[in-house]
Amino acid sequence: MDQNNSIPPFQGLASPQGAMTPGITMFSPITYGSGLTPQPVQNTNSLSILEEQQRQQQQQQQQQAQQPNTGLPGTSGQTPQLYHSQTNAGSTTTALPGSTGLYSTPIGPMTPLTPATPASECSGIVPTLQNIVSTVNLGCKLDLKTIALRARNAEYNPKRFAAVIMRIREPRTTALIFSSGKMVCTGAKSEDESRLAARKYARVVQKLGFPAKFLDFKIQNMVGSCDVKFPIRLEGLVLTHQQFSSYEPELFPGLIYRMIKPRIVLLIFVSGKVVLTGAKVRAEIYEAFENIYPILKGFRKTT
Amino acid sequence: MSKAGLKCPNCGSSNIVNDDLYSQAQLVCVECGAVVSEGSLADDPLWGTGLERVKEICRILRLNAEIEHLAQTYFRTAYQHESFINVTLQRKEVLAGCCVCISCRQRNWPITLGTICCVLNAEETLLGGVYQEMLKILNIQAPFVSVVEVIETHVHEYKICKQDVPEDFAEDPKVLTKRAVELVELAGESWIVTGRRPLPLMMAATYLAWQSLNPNRHRLRFSLDKFCNMAKVRKRRAAATRITELKEVLCRLGKELPWVTEAVTESDVVPLVGDILKYRHSLLARALKTHEKALEANCAQTSTLNHPTDEVVPTQLSESRNETESTSSVVQLSPSNKGENQGDKNDDQSEEPAPNWGKKVLFAPPCVINAKRRRVERRVENCTGDEEISDSEIDSYIRSPQEARDFALMQKMLSLPNSEKS
Repeated sequence: MDQNNSIPPFQGLASPQGAMTPGITMFSPITYGSGLTPQPVQNTNSLSILEEQQRQQQQQQQQQAQQPNTGLPGTSGQTPQLYHSQTNAGSTTTALPGSTGLYSTPIGPMTPLTPATPASECSGIVPTLQNIVSTVNLGCKLDLKTIALRARNAEYNPKRFAAVIMRIREPRTTALIFSSGKMVCTGAKSEDESRLAARKYARVVQKLGFPAKFLDFKIQNMVGSCDVKFPIRLEGLVLTHQQFSSYEPELFPGLIYRMIKPRIVLLIFVSGKVVLTGAKVRAEIYEAFENIYPILKGFRKTT
Repeated sequence: MSKAGLKCPNCGSSNIVNDDLYSQAQLVCVECGAVVSEGSLADDPLWGTGLERVKEICRILRLNAEIEHLAQTYFRTAYQHESFINVTLQRKEVLAGCCVCISCRQRNWPITLGTICCVLNAEETLLGGVYQEMLKILNIQAPFVSVVEVIETHVHEYKICKQDVPEDFAEDPKVLTKRAVELVELAGESWIVTGRRPLPLMMAATYLAWQSLNPNRHRLRFSLDKFCNMAKVRKRRAAATRITELKEVLCRLGKELPWVTEAVTESDVVPLVGDILKYRHSLLARALKTHEKALEANCAQTSTLNHPTDEVVPTQLSESRNETESTSSVVQLSPSNKGENQGDKNDDQSEEPAPNWGKKVLFAPPCVINAKRRRVERRVENCTGDEEISDSEIDSYIRSPQEARDFALMQKMLSLPNSEKS
């Protein structure tokens, strides 16, 4: 355990393994999505954990470079071992809340192609979600003719489209129900609303006599919008950000900005209104807006 | 090449040439333009590669060889792609036009998609769709074409030289272009250009320029319709709106002219346009000051009625006097950082249902000034997604058995007459 003593940050990890209840508290299956069962760290392929490990290694290397040799001849040679032993140790984890002392800043995705927003310069505007598109698998084959016949809120025109279009009033949404049992739910204003709506559609289908289940609910797309409340010179924006922007006033009055990180498409209009789409999670929309706001604001002042 | 021995049946001239630019060869009289004979469609070569079409478009637009070659390269590449291999002839033709357009833009020869539309006589939406798809497939970018770059070409389309129209209405294209450019720049500064289609705007600028260059009674009474007919240009509906918007901007500036004593309205602003454009930078400064004062007065008034907080008291101006590009000067007001208020002027607006920042600045995009009132949607609050779903609610979506029978019967009855007919 000499190695541990010579490198202070590891002390937290050197604590007996019994101190941590293996698995349960560290993992939240909800956050990581379906399919992940609580297991030792190295078996998960969560990107954030790998990134944390990398940063930890980098930090260790920095620390190694800074600290003089403590006299142990084999210190440097033993450091790689430490990494191995650490990763091999089942329940030592980089995701421990206690070990946040290892790295000061939380891991975030690299954003080389977007401007850095100083924390103080928050926009103060929060985009509102306007539409959520989600899919769910009802898990059984459906007879669309029966559904169209026996449901009040359904329309079915096989010549035009091969799905039943069903609508409910609360939350006000529309669903496309296919004969394979797959369903698309659109029009909700939040993730939870979308889920509630999808459940209601599934319940209707159930009541119509089909053994409907509720499998693999997934949000496919989220659309948000907001207003920066100042006019924007789209011509200037397309000149300075031409690798991301496309502005053809003859075809569409707004500028189409394809942000790389996060992968969101923004429609920017001269009135200052911005539409953000292509997100799978709410945070992407917020992040995209925080990225674009300084660009738009910077634009407002330049002449 | 001349065909000897032929005589034009119309005018008797023997100057007949073979016009083989198009797929169908024709013999045409040079003197009167009558078609003497047409090649038969039967032995037309198949439309073929479509590169011919590219060449043809380039020739119509009188583009140089470099652009033609680039367009052909693009066309060849795009044509191989699956999205364009098995499509209608019209789509291929539109693709040819798009390739020409993008090549022009990349080689600093600005043309609008509208021009291509006219040349091909294609639908704008189709052209737009093919254009976007082509850009995606070829993975290229088009540099942005501003209105100022294309207006010169546009003005030259108007047939208002001395030989075409009466002396009273004639105008030198160069002079007309210069004034139209100034009008477009002014429009750009006052947010009329951004987001709008360029063609109606250019038409409006040309019309106003023409009127203001010689604002006699005849010209002032000449409507846009008549002007377009005279100049042999197809009128755009949106041009009328642009004219109104431009006139409004001109009025605001015209008011600031020191030697104008009467009120300036839309109907009598045209004679002043020359002066307005000449001194537009100083007029803009004066207009801003006037606007500021008006807002301050407004603010003082409302603050005596309400709590004295942040109305917009603009103290920052940003204006560029030496810029000549149309995309440059942003003339607008920004909320001040007076005292503790940080310019969030929409907070305390208890009297206005939806505070419109557009009304507080001198110039704002028309879509902001005339903002449509949107229906406010009721939001579902505190939804967790896991709520209980009541049976009664679900039942309300399901037909009763009787209802279902009635519906089925009705459907059968509706389909019967059709089957009887057929």
